[in-house]
Amino acid sequence: MVKQNGNLDRVFGALADPTRRAILHRLRGRGTSTVTELAGLFPVSLPAVSRHLKVLERAGLVRRRVDGRIHRLALKTGPFERVADWVSHYRDFWTARLEALEREMVDRRQIDSAKRKEKRS
Amino acid sequence: MSNPSERPVEGRAQVRRVIPASPEALFDAWTDAEGMARWMRPGPEMQCRCRLDMRVGGRFEIDMIAPDGTTLPHTGTYRVVDRPRKLVFTWVSAPTGQRESVVTIEFRAAKGGTEIILTHDGLPPAAAEPHEGGWQEIIRKLAEDSQASEARSSRRPS
Repeated sequence: MVKQNGNLDRVFGALADPTRRAILHRLRGRGTSTVTELAGLFPVSLPAVSRHLKVLERAGLVRRRVDGRIHRLALKTGPFERVADWVSHYRDFWTARLEALEREMVDRRQIDSAKRKEKRS
Repeated sequence: MSNPSERPVEGRAQVRRVIPASPEALFDAWTDAEGMARWMRPGPEMQCRCRLDMRVGGRFEIDMIAPDGTTLPHTGTYRVVDRPRKLVFTWVSAPTGQRESVVTIEFRAAKGGTEIILTHDGLPPAAAEPHEGGWQEIIRKLAEDSQASEARSSRRPS
């Protein structure tokens, strides 16, 4: 559950950036692209495109095939299907948040009772 | 949950939990931006920043910040503020394509504390066709976004 949330967070993080969304859109249109081709399409440097691609790879959105010195990137569709399942994502998200809220309330109560003891002594 | 006839309404996620605290204390936890930043962040590696203007029509912003600085904003507007019984707010996040959903939280006195019933409605339902559905929707958004960012970058002097 936690692991899946971690993956989803990575996917959301990857999708939060307009250049990365544009790269995904290009890859969808073209099938595969090389890093150099992609760098030529955007007003950012080659190392910046490489960094964006690493984020996309970590999120499992992009697959890299190394052919000698040529790195070819292609889109992976699996994570999008997971992202589309908002109901189970948010059920997990709110379950974890309410657990954390409970810990917060219990911690706060312990701090309050410690403060009361301090006052008394 | 295993009985298919008891499946929740499509697009609805519901969570219940009894927490050992009074309804007032629990309700107030949703108005305390500093406290919320601790329990709203989705993982220890994430940072969370909350700005809450809790009154009907007031807005909130909850930013989840990843270690690489990527910020995932979550925003919404309070619709019902009925301390300590009920809280309703809209919930919009960038990854859902800025689609508005609605979160309703009810606080009920229960044995051992307060039962929180959190219902998140209006979520895009799970992809009806496993290989299309949501995927196409996201791709459509990608296309719109990338056209918009291309338009922006072509205007930008290089």
